[in-house]
Amino acid sequence: MRDATLKYLLVLPAVLVVLATAIWPLIESLRLSFTVGRLNRPGSLDQYLGFENFAWAFLYEPAFWNSVTVTAIYTVLTVALTTILALGLALLLAPGGRFRSGVQALLILPFAMSPALIGVSFRFMFNPEFGLFDAFFGVMIPPLADVSWLADPVLAFAVCVMADVWGWIPFLTLVLIGGLASIPQDTIEAAQVDGASGWRVFRDVTLPQLAPVLGVVVILKSIFSLKTFDQIFMLTNGGPGTATQTLSHYIYFNGMKYGQIGYAASVAWLMVIPMIFLTYAYARFVFRRP
Amino acid sequence: MAEVVLRNLTKRWGDFVGVDNQSLEIRDREFLVLLGPSGCGKTTTMRMIAGLEEPTGGEIWIGDRQVNDDLPKDRDVAMVFQNYGLYPHMTVYDNIAYPLKVRGTPRSEIRHRVEAAATKVELAQFLDRKPRALSGGQRQRVALARAIVRTPKVFLMDEPLSNLDAKLRVTMRAELKHLSRELMITTIYVTHDQIEAMTLADRVAVMKSGIIQQLGTPDEIYNNPANLFVAGFIGSPPMNLITGSIRDGMFVTSGGIRLVPVDSADRQEVVLGVRPDDVRVSEEGQGDIDVRIYAFENTGEATLLTVQWGHQRVIARGDRHLRKDQDDCVSISLMADHLHLFDPQSGVRIAS
Amino acid sequence: MTGRRKRQLANGVQVLLILIAIFVMLVPIIWIFMAAFKNHIDVFQLKLFFKPTLKNFPAVFESPYSLGHKLMNSTLVALVTVLLAIPIATMAAYSFSRFRLTGETTMLVTILATQFVPAVVIILPFFVMFRDLGLLDTRVGLILVNLSIVMPFAIWMIKGFIDGIPLDTEEAAMVDGSSRLQVIRNIVLPMAAPGLLTAGIFCFIIAWNEFLFALILTNKNAVTLPIGLALFKAEEGDLWNLLSAAGIIIMVPMFVLALIIRRYFVQGMTMGAVR
Repeated sequence: MRDATLKYLLVLPAVLVVLATAIWPLIESLRLSFTVGRLNRPGSLDQYLGFENFAWAFLYEPAFWNSVTVTAIYTVLTVALTTILALGLALLLAPGGRFRSGVQALLILPFAMSPALIGVSFRFMFNPEFGLFDAFFGVMIPPLADVSWLADPVLAFAVCVMADVWGWIPFLTLVLIGGLASIPQDTIEAAQVDGASGWRVFRDVTLPQLAPVLGVVVILKSIFSLKTFDQIFMLTNGGPGTATQTLSHYIYFNGMKYGQIGYAASVAWLMVIPMIFLTYAYARFVFRRP
Repeated sequence: MAEVVLRNLTKRWGDFVGVDNQSLEIRDREFLVLLGPSGCGKTTTMRMIAGLEEPTGGEIWIGDRQVNDDLPKDRDVAMVFQNYGLYPHMTVYDNIAYPLKVRGTPRSEIRHRVEAAATKVELAQFLDRKPRALSGGQRQRVALARAIVRTPKVFLMDEPLSNLDAKLRVTMRAELKHLSRELMITTIYVTHDQIEAMTLADRVAVMKSGIIQQLGTPDEIYNNPANLFVAGFIGSPPMNLITGSIRDGMFVTSGGIRLVPVDSADRQEVVLGVRPDDVRVSEEGQGDIDVRIYAFENTGEATLLTVQWGHQRVIARGDRHLRKDQDDCVSISLMADHLHLFDPQSGVRIAS
Repeated sequence: MTGRRKRQLANGVQVLLILIAIFVMLVPIIWIFMAAFKNHIDVFQLKLFFKPTLKNFPAVFESPYSLGHKLMNSTLVALVTVLLAIPIATMAAYSFSRFRLTGETTMLVTILATQFVPAVVIILPFFVMFRDLGLLDTRVGLILVNLSIVMPFAIWMIKGFIDGIPLDTEEAAMVDGSSRLQVIRNIVLPMAAPGLLTAGIFCFIIAWNEFLFALILTNKNAVTLPIGLALFKAEEGDLWNLLSAAGIIIMVPMFVLALIIRRYFVQGMTMGAVR
């Protein structure tokens, strides 16, 4: 068989799978977003109402705007905190050696952990009666004893951010260690010989060369933060009230619990839009290299 | 065994022309070297012969068969790659045996021929090793053995020595030459190293920008370069090129110095080429022109004098016992029967 | 202070910071580990030292939790997903790596992009379709949907590994007399084997930890382990010792697998964007 034919035959199954499992649902979701789309009302999935679902979300749903706000703050906080802390940890671990390499190996563990389980674990730790955190702070800072962490809107949100940051730091650290390792050592040595202090070397030589990797890290983390669902579901289930209800959670609730699949699809598509920009930025990073 | 014929062979990638309408006949049992700087199209030419690259136009003949549409496996060629292309997951034995195995050669014959090939390249005791346990030179030999284990119509070698260190390269060059004389199989060899080209080739094709500049024996290429590019590319240090004019049978530099008599009609603009070996150095006042030494280098086997007058610098090769210093004055004379004249516009050699 | 003393001090501070980081990183994991070996009563007393018990582990496999069934579902779903995805992805990855295809960049970017599509968007139409086809609460349905998250990873990751195989070697095999398919079988697959294993393990972990699809598509027969956790919470209040034991059963096999492919983990996750 000639390569000219073979090369298309080889990609065909994969293209079909991607079309069927990802592209079709994406388009079908778009279609559903223009329908009445009630799960319990037969025929409503083909009953079109134009942009009414979108208008409803924008005009009459404070809960929608609430979840937008929650998701936005959540994303900004988790991306910033995770990136900064991971950069610090990466700089600490980058020099290598037996001790530091061992620690690097440990970093894999939280990342292999199911996000749902991370949610459970944090709910457990922040239990007001017998959580680890309660015991810890109860002894160190008595006023914080017996605080109902997950019952307070702000504190519950903070715990969600904490769980997310905890789960993602290891992975971003490993990526950044890889990025640091790819910086030519001689540029750093040249700066040292030229008389730059440690901070100046970092600011003038290391950081600019790490910038592309940092860019990738920030984009990737933003994408995953925007989508967050698993931990939140297990940790607070959006509560108390709707204080920690992210967009994914809001869509899940409207689509699955209330059966408003058309409305859920329209909100889901609103969520796809920022994803398109982020993916475009990410693809540019990936394809810029020869 | 076969001759290889290229007719109007062209390779283009979009606007970029890799090989430009080239024709070339490589004789049966000939050792032909494609020589040129990187990006000149020599490797592309070879890859098209192997079938690894599809020509944009033209024909490739191996023996009496046009092979344009044949897959590499059906062309009956063997190739040694720059990075050897060894199979890392196979032993040396399996590497060498692979071309026979895929062709369904009987086991006993495979064994026999692999051992013969391995012995020829002095690898017999390494047959059980994996390539990563071998040194660079040994890997090179595995690649060579894999090529000679069957008797293909054509050998293709793509810079096979360029990954070896300088000393090993000299040894392997001699081994390669010995082997090629012994096997007498049509060989096409790509290199950018002019010494490899000069020492190994029956004929050399010098390429630049996808075009063969000159095709000839090493002697012809060295002694009668067809144009300025070949003149400047072959030889180390390279040929001196001096611009000037010819008046009344004398070459006059652009600075107005009447340098040397030449056997040519008068011309306004001309480039005179002379190899460093053909510049004779003598004490001040004893040669054609007195000059100041810009740099004096002793290479051990000879001395190199870069001399200067005005803006013109010329390199001369002096006797190995000569000792001079920077800014000393010497006299040089150009040997009249070893001069080359070129047209500065077209670069083409002017017949004398 | 001399330069030497200064450096020693700096290193000391660094080691201290690293130790703090390890502590923070491991505490939630250790917390689960400890709780899994505690008696129900000990959980509420925050003891660091307690009389360990193994009885939580058999308990989670008994009714009403019957974790064994969920373990079986998780294993089957993840395994079949991987066994389907890896061969299909390998074929495509080879083609993307070695040939120029019309629309190649479009295809690759699209495949990359599908990985970033929020799972909630994908699952809504699938829920409707599976409801009509009777595929709700089946392992088959779950496997199909899992392919949507696993395929992009697998294709890009394997493409990265194949890109790393020198072209020379393949060309040598072709000149030596192999057809393209022989090259793939004799040269590419053996050389890419560690990469394929890595990609397989990687996808297995993703499928194993998958939560949202299983939450929406399953409720009884095809429930997987992570959803099992959610049911625990609903059924019995918070039985932390049992939850923790189940947590260990979920995470420890993934820890082992992740450590096996540690070297490629990051590379796989970023799909060659960072190198």
